[in-house]
Amino acid sequence: MNYPYGKAAFLLLLIAIVSGSAHTYFSLGRQVERPDLVMAIFAPNHEEAYREVLGEFEREHGVKVQLQLVSQRALQSRLQSSLLTGADVPDLVELIGGSMGYFSRGPLEDVGFVDMTDRLHQEGIYSRMVESRFSLWSSRGRIFALPHDLHPVALCYRRDLIKELGIDVSSLKTWADFVAMGQSVVRDMDGDGNPDRYALDAPLNNTAINILLLQRGQQLFNENGEVVFDTELTAQTIAWYINQTFGAKRIGYEAGWGQGLTKAMNDGLVLFYFCPDWRTKQFEMDMPNQKGQLALMPLPAWEAGGRRTSSWGGTGLAITKASRKQDLAWKLAKFLYIKKEDLSSRFEGTNIIPPLKEAWEMPAFDKPDPFYGGQAIGRLYTDLAKETPPSYVSPYSNLAGTKLTEVFLDGVEYIKSRGEEGLEESILNNLKVKADYVREVLNRNVFLRKTKVGGS
Amino acid sequence: MKAGKKGPLAPWLFLGPYLVLTGIFFIYPFLNSIWLSFHQTNGPRSSVYVGLSNFAFVLGDPAFFTAVKNTTIYTIVSVTVQLPLSLGLAMLLNSGKGRVRNVFRLILFSPHLVGQIFVGILFAVIFTPRYGLFNIGLQELIAWGLEERWLANPSLVMPALIVVSMWMYVGFNMIYFLAALQNVDQGLLDAARVDGASSWQTFWHVTLPQIKPVAIFVVVMSTIGSYQLFELPYALLGGNGPNNSGLTIVGYLYSTAFETGDLGTGAAIGWLLALIIFVISTIQIKIARVE
Repeated sequence: MNYPYGKAAFLLLLIAIVSGSAHTYFSLGRQVERPDLVMAIFAPNHEEAYREVLGEFEREHGVKVQLQLVSQRALQSRLQSSLLTGADVPDLVELIGGSMGYFSRGPLEDVGFVDMTDRLHQEGIYSRMVESRFSLWSSRGRIFALPHDLHPVALCYRRDLIKELGIDVSSLKTWADFVAMGQSVVRDMDGDGNPDRYALDAPLNNTAINILLLQRGQQLFNENGEVVFDTELTAQTIAWYINQTFGAKRIGYEAGWGQGLTKAMNDGLVLFYFCPDWRTKQFEMDMPNQKGQLALMPLPAWEAGGRRTSSWGGTGLAITKASRKQDLAWKLAKFLYIKKEDLSSRFEGTNIIPPLKEAWEMPAFDKPDPFYGGQAIGRLYTDLAKETPPSYVSPYSNLAGTKLTEVFLDGVEYIKSRGEEGLEESILNNLKVKADYVREVLNRNVFLRKTKVGGS
Repeated sequence: MKAGKKGPLAPWLFLGPYLVLTGIFFIYPFLNSIWLSFHQTNGPRSSVYVGLSNFAFVLGDPAFFTAVKNTTIYTIVSVTVQLPLSLGLAMLLNSGKGRVRNVFRLILFSPHLVGQIFVGILFAVIFTPRYGLFNIGLQELIAWGLEERWLANPSLVMPALIVVSMWMYVGFNMIYFLAALQNVDQGLLDAARVDGASSWQTFWHVTLPQIKPVAIFVVVMSTIGSYQLFELPYALLGGNGPNNSGLTIVGYLYSTAFETGDLGTGAAIGWLLALIIFVISTIQIKIARVE
């Protein structure tokens, strides 16, 4: 045989032809097998719950649905890239709370998800759900995802420790009551100079501050997407939180996540933990040894008779504009999110309260939970769910959250060097500086400014 | 020549795949990033020419200067502490026997075998207040540090990052130095010893000049690598750290381009980073040549 360019070149060419052909063949094969709907999710417990009922939907409509479980960060970044480049995307996708801000940073017509607003109103779904929850999935008055949950926040505590310390949780009606109790229990028990018992798990970032601000009705952005966090209420809340975490009579300690959290709870290092509904299942899975010992109570209010919950986290189901079967996808979304019988049984698997109000009447929500010592945690959360505050998002929510953390940490430095005198005023001034920065970044977004948008 | 007889097409056929791939994955992104840096975009459908606004914003943004400061501190420590340590270890190993040398070489190099993300997650556990290995070790050794929040206290974040980075890279850079030391002319070393040169004089006047090309390479590569630092702080701190104390230039780029979605400003940051690296590397190489 004659090799005009040598055997090596021939071999390389052969490899290229074989691998190219194989890749094309298998790619085409995959396309042929593409199911009617592809749905991407990131929560493993959702996968389990959806798989149980998807068969029914498939039989009812004579279609094939593929469920893809992808890690949250990977899902977010792949979706961002795919929507930007026009690559293949799932028909339906579960998004994490706050992510809608990113996807809606451009003109509304560029949002890669189907606008559900009209359908939700026409089919009467909007009024059947907790309306405030749509805020997390809206931009400029249009709704782009169906809320999966509400995530009302309660406080979780060790029943045995609280009893041992003689604490009556029913008397902890306000944060002032809670702080008074907390100051009486913080103690260095082994004399090493480090307290071995704290009252509250207090993350040293904006997580708890956001929870507390939402509880007080203070948003970072209003429904028009404007920055609104530089207020006296925010300054008061941050100053209060700094006092609880770094003040002379602090009651808070950051238990962290994972093993640190488990150990803190098992050791009784921290007594009370911010606990949205999703976290109750996490505690159950991570700390089976605490079965029967944990219990929940509503958040203390800021003033007597005030709101006793907040919200932390969220998931929503969006339909991509690229989906060729948007009507079928909409049917699946409704099948998964607003069928109260399924939502009821799903609650038993996830402890997550759905935003569909009529589902709360189902008996599952009154069922005693053995892990929580027989407490009907479903009813506790549904009672709180009624007053769950709205949470508006912006493409700059993360930035605003970072700025809140900065204000908090600057406040910590202030209290360490100058004490509590003038702390609140210093925080307020700092908040204004940080809010102005976020406004500057936001105002740079030509798309949100509604300027003329040119094609490329 | 044989290839010449096949006509002008043959070389292009061989070069073709390389040129196509380079065009798609290097030249096009390179040119597109220039275009992007002068625009605000929201996907391929919407873009607005904004002139130098992206550059102006970055150069007026305190976060950018925090990122430059953090990255520069990290780089300086990498070059001035980490590299001498690597060289010292390489010299120790170079003086050891073959089998011992190989065992220690593997031990010291092994941290580099795991990825930065893994190391970040690992050290996030090690630095856990009260329960972390590092904190417990400090408490046992010097009766301090049990409650220290290495990753939540802005003033401790950079030291923590440097500790992790040293664990990861000292052994890696040591390999370069060890290879260079093994190529030092033994005759020159013997001659220096016979002439009565001290260990320090031998190192300064004989060893160092001979390993200089490798040392320059390691310094330049460490500088470039340090200025591109991203994964380690991102995994270790779960973001940019409290008060941006772990924010690096690439971290700032990532936040801007991929968390906020402002690809234009992200591209501008990328070009400023390229400029910074170019200037510093040029200065380093010029200084090395002068010396």
